[in-house]
Amino acid sequence: MMSFHLCLTFVFPKENVIATSFITGYILWAFLLLWAFVAENVWKVWLTYIVLSLLLLTPLLFNLSS
Amino acid sequence: MNLRRYNIYFHTHTISGIIICALLYVIFFAGSFSFFRDEISAWQKSSSYEANREVVKRDYNFLLDSLSGSYNLKGRDFSFYLKRNSFGTYVDMSTSNDTTVSKKPEVKKEGRRRGRGREKNEDSAYFTYDFAKRQTSDYTQSYDMGEFLYRLHFLAQLNQVPINIGTPFGYLVAGLVSFLFLFALITGLFLHWDKIKSNFFTFRPWNKWKTVWTDIHTALGVIGFPFQFMFAVTGVVLIVNFILLTPYSKILYKGDEAKIYQDLAYNDASTFAYTYKPLNKDFDLTRFVTDVENRWSGAEVSRVLVKNYQDENMHVIVEAKPSPKENFAGSGKLVYRVKDGKIVSEKSANTESSYIDHIKALVYHLHFGDFGGKPIRVIYFVLGVMGCVVIISGILIWLLARDKNNVPAYKRKFNFWTANIFMAVCLSMLPVTAFTFIMLKVLDNPMQSDIYHWYFYSWLVLSLYFIARRSIALTNKQSVFLSIVLCMLVPIANGIFGGNWIWVSFQADAFDILTIDILFILLSLTSLFVYLKIRKKQDKK
Repeated sequence: MMSFHLCLTFVFPKENVIATSFITGYILWAFLLLWAFVAENVWKVWLTYIVLSLLLLTPLLFNLSS
Repeated sequence: MNLRRYNIYFHTHTISGIIICALLYVIFFAGSFSFFRDEISAWQKSSSYEANREVVKRDYNFLLDSLSGSYNLKGRDFSFYLKRNSFGTYVDMSTSNDTTVSKKPEVKKEGRRRGRGREKNEDSAYFTYDFAKRQTSDYTQSYDMGEFLYRLHFLAQLNQVPINIGTPFGYLVAGLVSFLFLFALITGLFLHWDKIKSNFFTFRPWNKWKTVWTDIHTALGVIGFPFQFMFAVTGVVLIVNFILLTPYSKILYKGDEAKIYQDLAYNDASTFAYTYKPLNKDFDLTRFVTDVENRWSGAEVSRVLVKNYQDENMHVIVEAKPSPKENFAGSGKLVYRVKDGKIVSEKSANTESSYIDHIKALVYHLHFGDFGGKPIRVIYFVLGVMGCVVIISGILIWLLARDKNNVPAYKRKFNFWTANIFMAVCLSMLPVTAFTFIMLKVLDNPMQSDIYHWYFYSWLVLSLYFIARRSIALTNKQSVFLSIVLCMLVPIANGIFGGNWIWVSFQADAFDILTIDILFILLSLTSLFVYLKIRKKQDKK
């Protein structure tokens, strides 16, 4: 959830993304929590969440090092 | 929907529901009353805002003059936080920026932080001021029932619990509850999804109890869903937004929290240099604020900041909220330099609004229901009470579904006691609230500690009594009966002890005081209706 919105800050002005995430962030978070319950295989959920986070964070990590 | 998913939704909904139900009921109940927070304050203090709106003027000059009697005001910063729909304002007075005037700050004493009270050294001051009565009072004296219920609805009173986790304990609990509430709403919707259309008009009040509770729970749950969903989200945002803001500020602002709050227009951290040259000019603050108010028609001034009082570099900042009719989202801000009478910057309340203003306006207006006058707040109140009914019926379904012969006795015992305690605590809230309202009028000048004692002790006693009687039917019947009597006594107490009989308030145009009286009469009549229904049902048996 965090990484998704952080990724968006590279496209849109960051303070606007932060304000948007007040609403979308918590709803997305609740759905991610629910999906962990619904999924058949919990390890898959772990994997997906970690891969997604890293993927969305790549621009940020890249940016910090340069 | 396959059975596996149904079961998952069912169990996540049940568990998250039963964990939060009692606290959520408190939040919903106190929150519903908080829509009338300003009316409750006016009711308790017998000072109507609506009747005197045109008469009383906010006279800042008088306040500064009277302060100068006991303080040297030179070089200080002042912040006035105006209360809405009231003549009250919080006044925050800093120590002087002039080092020849200000005393050295003493070593801070370790003390527990309480609510809005802040630790200050002696020369600065934080208090409330009433423009109508021209009186200052400290926070605990001006604390009233409206403030109490408002703060109860985000569990501020729990902050006193000595559990140190780096953040106020009550707020964190309230935030967790409201996030779990969001989760329970989503799972509840999915759970009911297949039947949402077919069961929309289903209500079978003459069936067995479990069906009645289920029908109430789903029918009101579905109707109230958008409303409750909105409250779950805005509630989390308002109470525990630091959960989002802390990581953002760490990553995007390199840990500079002041910067993020400034970017989001929560706070103004700008400072103005102190020049040590006196200001050779008289300045009429009262007139200035009135001028700004006229400049943005319909806007209400929310904050007035005075920087470097009587210094050459004295600035005045006025912030205002537009009337929702003129501009739903927006915030006005005007920075004025006194020396040469120049407006340094201006953002009009009515015409300009940024994207952030829109989001924040959405969150605040939707949560507080302050965009459409009293009718909206009445609708909000009814929907809020509906939320309470959904919670209560949820507890009862939970109990009845587990009250079967194939459930082991020790589990049934535990389930019964859980439901018994929850019901006792929840249902005693209405009579206790009405009772405290009466005591406010009986007592002479009640303060924060009085409200705490009367509310929490009577709540404790009544809950313990109901728990000890070990019968949910009895809890229900007696709490409804108490509600009839006590709610009816509220307007009567207001008449006897405050002299504000309903017809007196009506003639004086004191509609805010009248609102509370009528609200309690209606609550009493509703309780009476419920009581008669219960009696009828019993007679049948």
